[in-house]
Amino acid sequence: MAHRILIIDDEDDIREVAALSLESVAGWEVLTASSGAQGLARAVESQPDAILLDVMMPGMDGPATFRELRKNPATARIPVLLLTAKVQANDQRRFADLGVEAVLFKPFDPLTLSNQIAGVLGWN
Amino acid sequence: MEQNEKTALDEAIDRLWTQFLPQMRERVAILETAASGFAADKLSAADHVKANDAAHKLAGALGSFGLTRGTVLARELEIMYSRENGADPVTSARLGEIAAELRAMVENRK
Repeated sequence: MAHRILIIDDEDDIREVAALSLESVAGWEVLTASSGAQGLARAVESQPDAILLDVMMPGMDGPATFRELRKNPATARIPVLLLTAKVQANDQRRFADLGVEAVLFKPFDPLTLSNQIAGVLGWN
Repeated sequence: MEQNEKTALDEAIDRLWTQFLPQMRERVAILETAASGFAADKLSAADHVKANDAAHKLAGALGSFGLTRGTVLARELEIMYSRENGADPVTSARLGEIAAELRAMVENRK
């Protein structure tokens, strides 16, 4: 059965490459949102198996979106993986401490992104 | 993944690159302008933030399009623009060099 994954990222180039990668390499169903607020609504309506969430977004950023997802009973149990281009150790620790499933880094390799996600979520 | 599937993925990524090339060029242009402004000691606080943001976005994107060195360079710029430096000649030269190299890379990606 194909997994359904929601990508929330304000950068359309990243969103498109990630969507292409997960659809064509893994054959997953991919939904997208370009803001935290839009992502919250899509998560409620589509109930994805996992969410790939960008950290730096205008308005509601990744950590704030994650907290809202956790507050809502309809989305509280959906695994969330953060996606960030921040490589400094203190940032990484701060993100990991939020309680997400994993922190993945940009740039990602489109060929292996789905393997990374599947590995974290035990989908292999 | 079969070779033909990998080729199809590469081709699809090439199409996305073409689609997003104007956006990449715009980010590099911000960095070129910022480098000039820095050299002239006329980089405003707002342009400083814009340059940091453009470098951050390029760092996060270029490697996914096969431009790994572009990510390394953009990350170096992001770090440089995250500091509050005066216009010293060494930093100024490096900002200009990196912006020029990123420009060449973005224009010449095959």
